[in-house]
Amino acid sequence: MTSRLRRGRSWRMLAGAGFALLLAGCDGDSIPQARVLPGEDLPAPPPEETPPGNNQQQNECKDAPRDVGRITLHRLNRAEYDATVRDLLGDTTQPARDFPADDHGYGFDNNADVLSLSPLLMEKYSAAAEKLVETAWAKGVFGSCALSAENPEPCARDILSRFARRAWRRPVAKEEVDRLVGFLALAKARGDGPEMGVKLALRSVLVSPHFLFRVEKDPDPNSTTPHRLTDVELASRLSYFLWSSMPDETLLATAEAGKLHQPEELEAQVRRMLADPKANGLVENFAGQWLYTRALDSAEPDATLYGAFNEDLRSAMRQETQLVFHEFITGEHKLKDLVDAPFTYVNDALATHYGLPKPGSSTPVRVDLTGHPERAGIFGQGSLLTVTSNPDRTSPVQRGVWVLEQLLCSAPPPPPPNVEGLPPAVDPNQTMRERMAQHRSQPACQGCHRLMDPLGLALENYDAIGRWRMKEVSGAPVDPTGELPDGTVLRGADDMRRFVKQDPKLPACLTEHLLTYALGRGMRPEDACAVSEIAATAEASGGRLSDYILSIVLSDHFTQRRGEPEAQKP
Amino acid sequence: MSKKLQLSRRTFLRGAGTLMALPVLESMLPRAAGAAMPSTPRRLAVFYTPNGIHMPKWTPTGTGTNWELTPTLQPLAPVKNDVLVLSGLANDPGRPDGDGHHAAATAAFLSCTKAFKTEGTDFRAGISMDQVIANHLASAKATRLASLELGNDAGKGIGNCDSGYACPYANNIAWAGPTTPVAKETRPKAVFDRLFAGYDPGATQASVEKRKAYGKSIIDFVRDDATALKTQLGASDLRKLDEYFTGVRDLEKQVEAIEAEGPSCNPGVAPGNDEDPRVKTKAMMDLIVLAFQCDLTRVATFMLANARSLKVYGFLGLTGGHHTYSHHQMLQSNYDALATIDRWEVEQYAYLLQRLKGTKDVDGKTLLDNSMVYFSSEIADGNSHEHKNLPVLIGGSGGGALTPGRHVRYNAAPLANLYISLMQAMGVPGISSFGDNGTGPLSGLKA
Repeated sequence: MTSRLRRGRSWRMLAGAGFALLLAGCDGDSIPQARVLPGEDLPAPPPEETPPGNNQQQNECKDAPRDVGRITLHRLNRAEYDATVRDLLGDTTQPARDFPADDHGYGFDNNADVLSLSPLLMEKYSAAAEKLVETAWAKGVFGSCALSAENPEPCARDILSRFARRAWRRPVAKEEVDRLVGFLALAKARGDGPEMGVKLALRSVLVSPHFLFRVEKDPDPNSTTPHRLTDVELASRLSYFLWSSMPDETLLATAEAGKLHQPEELEAQVRRMLADPKANGLVENFAGQWLYTRALDSAEPDATLYGAFNEDLRSAMRQETQLVFHEFITGEHKLKDLVDAPFTYVNDALATHYGLPKPGSSTPVRVDLTGHPERAGIFGQGSLLTVTSNPDRTSPVQRGVWVLEQLLCSAPPPPPPNVEGLPPAVDPNQTMRERMAQHRSQPACQGCHRLMDPLGLALENYDAIGRWRMKEVSGAPVDPTGELPDGTVLRGADDMRRFVKQDPKLPACLTEHLLTYALGRGMRPEDACAVSEIAATAEASGGRLSDYILSIVLSDHFTQRRGEPEAQKP
Repeated sequence: MSKKLQLSRRTFLRGAGTLMALPVLESMLPRAAGAAMPSTPRRLAVFYTPNGIHMPKWTPTGTGTNWELTPTLQPLAPVKNDVLVLSGLANDPGRPDGDGHHAAATAAFLSCTKAFKTEGTDFRAGISMDQVIANHLASAKATRLASLELGNDAGKGIGNCDSGYACPYANNIAWAGPTTPVAKETRPKAVFDRLFAGYDPGATQASVEKRKAYGKSIIDFVRDDATALKTQLGASDLRKLDEYFTGVRDLEKQVEAIEAEGPSCNPGVAPGNDEDPRVKTKAMMDLIVLAFQCDLTRVATFMLANARSLKVYGFLGLTGGHHTYSHHQMLQSNYDALATIDRWEVEQYAYLLQRLKGTKDVDGKTLLDNSMVYFSSEIADGNSHEHKNLPVLIGGSGGGALTPGRHVRYNAAPLANLYISLMQAMGVPGISSFGDNGTGPLSGLKA
């Protein structure tokens, strides 16, 4: 996911050039400059990046045209489907594991644009619905009234209206219930009892587009004038953002009462929902993708060099990042503290791997990292350090790109053809730094690598599975210094953490990823002002993850949408 | 669909567990629907491998019947006379704008259509040749499933897929239309269940009719729901809803085709879900053979891994990721690693050919005689992202459409023309152009 907002979002592109797609170029040995597509005429960037929320930024955004955008009809992805049937039916079998994989876009697999619905998936939905209904029926999930043979309709109506409202996450019209109740007559005509009719109706509810999609309607589909979401539409946006699942009764009832759009009510619901165990959806689905934790499943460190890596460590590393992030959901930490949080969660095996004292437990225990600054924050965690390495060596480039991409939203473009990858060390005595320097001596590579490499080189004390090291595989001493294009020298991981944490681009970048996930759509240049305002508000309110989430949830981007002019074909 | 698998009573083969099946009975084959349908079924399978092939160890020297197996093609020894090696074909529509060779070329792999560079809603490629064939066969109601899409990898779900190209380009080779990738199944057991579960042997005709009627009533209900939604949605939403309608139509066809008895072949035992690529690939190959043998479908595509795959082939003694090796920087150690992977890929393909060759078809020939099994990668050389001189194999005779056992050289003929020939051999009428640059059938496929 290359940021659409790029460096320069905080300078003058905002006034009037909002529709130019900015491309970072890496020319020779200068810092990448924002480049715009032909036909746009932009002033040169000021020498200093300006933090979001400052006066200049606000002035530029004050008169900028606003576009809250729109989200394409949003199919439930596999994680959302499983969580929804869990909350709807108490079914924890995770039927979506057998569905075809969801594609992802802009870094997340809840991107509505790329979530397609193939005939195969439709077939799976149909089979899953039948199975889910049978299982839930056998467990007595659908209520307690009796479907009497002579007058089954009142009970059927009760079961179906309550179920459809929850499954479709909105009030259900009488005509809709009438149509569902119609299945009773069909079953009767075929010689079956009312139970069969109700089951057919329940299956229909689960195959209906109202269940499979998160429907948000445009009163005027061709109008670009923004309109407020209905409260029940907003309820689903909120629950799928924070829980990856359907609204619960409290949220749905609040929405049906027409109160949800009130800011104080929204805030109360957000705080309530973040305290709920279901907020683990943010850990699994947002953090799992933003922090690359999911990639740990497929990491395959070279067994000859990194035999220490095993399934127990893989699982301990995954849990570490999940538990740390989880603390940010309800805790008082600032979101920025992810970079250098002075605590973590390790079991004995992972503590040994890290060179920390054993907590005396095979399950993860929260430990204080005072005296162990090398393990502070995300850059001390084995999960990230492993997934940004190659199987057989560290990759300063991948680590550098990760920081630029996921924390600073200023990643350079991919390399030109034919210069990807690093040749293996021909001279075993050559250090990583020397090899990278050789790479940087090529003019085509230099511009971008001067940006990426120093951030990754500063993490060279961590090997390809996250162990602390003073020597490279070749035996050469590790030299963890990186020199940034402006002459700043990072001497190791502590310097690098400080540098990233104070970077003025960090708040807007955190916002960009969180908003991309919250909305299920990629960010466009037109979103730059909203992103920087949401970031400024979040930081001003305390900078916690909950502040960022609230700032997003209360924004026009989250509470409004618009239609679209007639489709444009590429 | 969730019923436990029960074998058809007509099944009397012992030895469940070996994936063997009875030949399809002549009487069970659909009657030829017009002249376009050959009387004995023909079948097409596609085997995609990512990241290109190290060509120096692949390309044979001699041509015609006078060619020798190269190191990479060595696993084909038992089926050498059943394989066509085609050199020098090019797929220009696979060239990206700027970078993104793997995704762009994978999107064009079977569609020969240039993919529009985007990460957003407006991704656009073209219908793939397998789906053209599937549509034709579906209109003739040839088999229960129009096509089968399989793959080993679901995808990591993080980061980007390839330099500004949307992930659907990198993770699919089958496209039902320009904006509709056909998702693949990546769990062997789920595939098996889909093929063989859901039958109800011993069910009366009346209960089968009832099941159909119920299935149809659900479909009518949800279709009405979707139709009512149409008026309140924007253009991009309607595209998503179109996918829904397509899915519903497909489901409807399946409901109409419900029978009490399953296919008259013994599917053996369901495969497990083992993620070891050696086990999983074989399971997928076996499923293709079963699906052909039981005539459940005549079109199957398989992705050994997704575009730009970083898979580490540890069991081959390798430690680096496949894509990393493919940028070989002209280093011998990388060439060697690539040749090792390539040879393993050819081995899996050879296994599929041998399984097809060992299975009798309705006309007394082998399944391989009546099939065309296409092997290739989205590019040739991985370092330079070459879109010409592609590594192409076709196994089988396609019911007499091809003369295998030869090596044929072309001079940059479009890959699309090969596909036109394959589509024609599969009975698709009126195909004279395809994709961005297909101009007519490819010569030299028959001696």
